[in-house]
Amino acid sequence: MAAITADIVPAPIAVPRSPGFWSGVLHRLCRDPVALAALAVLIVIVAIAILAPYIAPYDPTKGSVIRRLKPIGTEGYFLGTDELGRDMLSRLIYGARLSLIMGVVPVPIAFVIGSIIGIVAGYAGGLTNTLIMRTVDVFYAFPSVLLAVALSGALGSGLTNALVSLTVVFIPQIARVAESVTTQIRSLDYVDAARASGAPAFTIIRVHVLGNVLGPIFVFATSLISVSMILASGLSFLGLGVRPPDAEWGLMLNTLRTAIYNNPAVAALPGVMIFVTSICFNLFSDGLRQAMDVKS
Amino acid sequence: MTKTSLRNWRDRGLLKTLQTATILGVAFAATASSAFAAGTLRIGMTASDIPLTTGQTDQGGEGQRFMGYTVYNSLIEWDLSKADKPSVLIPSLATSWTVDPADQTKWTFKLRDGVKFHDGSVFNADAVVWNLDKLLKTDAPQFDQRQSAQGKSRIPAVASYKAIDPTTVEIVTKSPDATLPYQISWILMSSPANWEAQGKSWDKVAQHPSGTGPWKMESGFTPRERAELTPNKDYWDATRMPKLDKLVLIPLPEPNTRVAALRSGQVDWIEAPAPDSVKSLKDAGFAIVTNAYPHNWTWHLSRVEGSPWNDVRVRKAANLAVDRDGLNELLGGLSIPAQGYLPPGHQWFGKPDFKLEYNVEEAKKLMAEAGYGPDKPITTKVVISSSGSGQMLPLAMNEYIQQTLAEIGINVEYEVMDWNTVINVWRAGAKDASAKGATAVNYSYFIQDPFTALIRQSQCNLAPPNGTNWGYYCDPEMDALFNKVRTTFDAAEQDKVLQQVHEKYVNEALFLMVTHDVNPRAMTTKVKGFVQAQNWFQDFSPITVDP
Amino acid sequence: MLVYALKRLLHVIPVAIGVSIVCFMLIHIAPGDPLAAILPTDASLELQAQMRSFYGLDQPLPLQYALWAWHALRGDLGTSIATGRPVLAEILSASVNSIILAVAATLIGFTFGSILGFIAGVFRGGWIDRIASGLAMLGVSVPHYWLGMVLVIAFSVSLGWLPSMGGGPGGSDGRSFSWDYIQYLILPAVTMSVIPMGIIARTIRSLVADILSQDFVQALAAKGLMTKHVMRHVIRNAAPTAISVMGLQLGYLLGGSILIETVFSWPGTGSLLNGAIFTRDLPILQGTILVLAMFFVFVNLVVDVLQSAIDPRIQRS
Repeated sequence: MAAITADIVPAPIAVPRSPGFWSGVLHRLCRDPVALAALAVLIVIVAIAILAPYIAPYDPTKGSVIRRLKPIGTEGYFLGTDELGRDMLSRLIYGARLSLIMGVVPVPIAFVIGSIIGIVAGYAGGLTNTLIMRTVDVFYAFPSVLLAVALSGALGSGLTNALVSLTVVFIPQIARVAESVTTQIRSLDYVDAARASGAPAFTIIRVHVLGNVLGPIFVFATSLISVSMILASGLSFLGLGVRPPDAEWGLMLNTLRTAIYNNPAVAALPGVMIFVTSICFNLFSDGLRQAMDVKS
Repeated sequence: MTKTSLRNWRDRGLLKTLQTATILGVAFAATASSAFAAGTLRIGMTASDIPLTTGQTDQGGEGQRFMGYTVYNSLIEWDLSKADKPSVLIPSLATSWTVDPADQTKWTFKLRDGVKFHDGSVFNADAVVWNLDKLLKTDAPQFDQRQSAQGKSRIPAVASYKAIDPTTVEIVTKSPDATLPYQISWILMSSPANWEAQGKSWDKVAQHPSGTGPWKMESGFTPRERAELTPNKDYWDATRMPKLDKLVLIPLPEPNTRVAALRSGQVDWIEAPAPDSVKSLKDAGFAIVTNAYPHNWTWHLSRVEGSPWNDVRVRKAANLAVDRDGLNELLGGLSIPAQGYLPPGHQWFGKPDFKLEYNVEEAKKLMAEAGYGPDKPITTKVVISSSGSGQMLPLAMNEYIQQTLAEIGINVEYEVMDWNTVINVWRAGAKDASAKGATAVNYSYFIQDPFTALIRQSQCNLAPPNGTNWGYYCDPEMDALFNKVRTTFDAAEQDKVLQQVHEKYVNEALFLMVTHDVNPRAMTTKVKGFVQAQNWFQDFSPITVDP
Repeated sequence: MLVYALKRLLHVIPVAIGVSIVCFMLIHIAPGDPLAAILPTDASLELQAQMRSFYGLDQPLPLQYALWAWHALRGDLGTSIATGRPVLAEILSASVNSIILAVAATLIGFTFGSILGFIAGVFRGGWIDRIASGLAMLGVSVPHYWLGMVLVIAFSVSLGWLPSMGGGPGGSDGRSFSWDYIQYLILPAVTMSVIPMGIIARTIRSLVADILSQDFVQALAAKGLMTKHVMRHVIRNAAPTAISVMGLQLGYLLGGSILIETVFSWPGTGSLLNGAIFTRDLPILQGTILVLAMFFVFVNLVVDVLQSAIDPRIQRS
């Protein structure tokens, strides 16, 4: 699943951006109905997650065994109830919180750490670069699922452990992209000139490198969110993620699994949510990449 | 009547009523089993691997059930022929056993004559000694670490043993212990000659095992995937000669995979269908077979200083605040709500005064007497597992208990761990840091014999690290009863003492007693002749499978 | 070319050592006691200590690693704690099944992915592109273990067309190239193929679109030569990347089969790994992760070298 990484993102090309670049991107993005629709769905999901206590009709952890596994459309329980008689709608709403946290948070953390590692390695070059990048390569040498499962399996279940595992999975991927873009930028004439003129490394990185590097890494990172969502739900599915009674879509899918013959529609709902969120992140990331690709 | 004619007849829809169909089906099965081949039974186990095949099995009770008493025999076994009452010990490879009245540590086992291992070698007293050495004597050439790990702790009482003559074995215990027969019933006898023939390698024996049991494993063993057992045509007990042509064991740890395998016809029988799949399996025409067996699902309470459970009123209140019928509903009816620590009807149940019912008012009263209430609640932590052998639906059940306990002012926080970690916590004891300050651990006990059922969790000197008295419970009165159990060699008298033990367990609410599993199995209606004994183990010999 | 291959090989050695260290350390960052899995619930402390020394768990860490790595180099990955069988033998027999599954899934994914991607690329921007790209997008966005469960309910339980689990009618040992055996492969392979299908489709679409928008291709097309000739050009230029993506996907699928194999009880390395995590069978866990990661490193190497052989311009650093 995590193979959706470097392979489908064409090698980012470090083209120096003009000042009007970002407004151009925004302009192009606004003309892409698919990306906009995906963004709208994502905004709604995020809003639901934030407003969960105000919009969820019931407490997501309170159930009654008398009304368990009610079908979709039951009066009072619009989306039915789960295996403990808890309201599915409320659990899906609250589930958005942990699912988004598990799926999304590792990416920005890995974005920051991976970018720093990659930029430092790319800018420093030489031995520093070799040392850093060989270490990164070691982690990159693991298929993502394997690394995430191995780390989570070793650390044990729990939200924090899952977040740590996923972050470790994404850091080397982002670091590699950051390093390759930085190396390209560094060899550009005017950056060379700035270095030759004795400008401090920090200034050069801030002025010349960051502006050009962050864009491509950012696009790459957005494409990782959908991977992260699916990986995270997979961990929960294997019992390596969030612990009950917390609501999280992957875990709900796991605990509802045995009800799949009684009440397949209810049991499938968390899967649908993971699917919808993941595809929206993918569509938006695609749109963003197209909008930033000056050629098209 | 031939098979074809019956099928045609059925196809014409003449068999309308269920009753007729059943009666005829049974009658037909009876004739079929003698006239035709009796078929192949494919079982989906919950274990993730084929249990150890060399003799002493792993994978807990399931291993002993499918690879233990099938391929092997023990000196003493369980009577698995009755479904309507708890099973008792019966002679197997030993025809009788007696304890020396003068020295109550000295036991004499008379062995069955003329029993042969599958490889044709003779079973005798030397083989018994050889097998005990295999588990206990680390410098014996046949010592096997893996079997020892499984078997050694089953026979803590054994001090020494020797062959008196080819059909007599003497076993000496460390102190007088009337529970020895229960301990010995775990120990399975593998063939010494076969081990020699396999180049003295247990790894090779695993592929070509040889026991004395009603089933043989000759070929068809693929680790992690399947094992095929075939009848031992020379079995010493003709009444337990398997009727099937073949018994196939398939490890299917994932509950949904088990259900899918049964429903798509890849197996005929699955162990422990998930409660939520039971209704759909019934609707699809599968039989759900259940029976009581000596299992319980409890919270083992800590009696360490500072634990709220040291107050008997709190313990009783908690026991009154568990909605056991609600839990039974949650479990799809596949449980027996607890009336005591042992299942209702058990021979050691006795007549406890304290009745386990769902009575929130009474519970609140007791809590108030103890000085607690909704405005002054108890807040405490409990270790539970996410899933595990015998744990039923731990998360769902504990969440429900959490809800009802909160009503009487006991606020429970859970520390969820995986099952193996819970076992570690349970071994280490309530005082150990691994318990993270928890005052109870949710445990499911195998309670088939006096030691595992009642003694090991409550005897003073079995507190960690010496044993598994997790909660450091210590009551001289209880210890006196345990001593009486060990020194009462008359079975009926021993039962009476054990009843007193159990009455004390319940009257003092030593555990949070919740429920008993019913060992559900789902199978196709083609499986005939199975009697589900009230036991962890089962007899597969009388079973037939219609084509 | 040969020099490049050798250079890559040298580069792989430190990575392989690093991978082995990570594999080894994984086990030791784990909380909990591995012995719990192998002992009966009422094992005594003496017995626990005895087992601990039997498996060398009381040696200092670097020594444990050195011993383990030395044995691993000689093909001895130890003995499974749970089954007592040699780890390497367990992994090898499981690997055959995993490779069969991964290859089948990659082939299915590659075939359908290429077709989808090609169509989408040729008709880029139009509604055909939208549909084909949408299908590819579904492939990379669906939680595939969930898809597996849905397919089992549909095709095994409801329709009864295909088996729901297992590696063959008599276990994977009776492997043969016949329907009896292949029917067991279909559901897991199809479920698994949605990922490579999506990825390959997306890669091919963008490759084809890029090539078709090149000036000279545009010129050819303008002359009405948008035919065989152009298509051959497109395929020739897209093939190296497509094949390398396919190679990498094979590696990813082998390493990432744990969820699918769990859902379908497919007797491969994923099931082995899941079981090892569940029972905390350390030698199996270490060994399986090591072998899968090494395999992935190896696939990467082969793909790189092959790619540079096909197209010398691409030499990845």
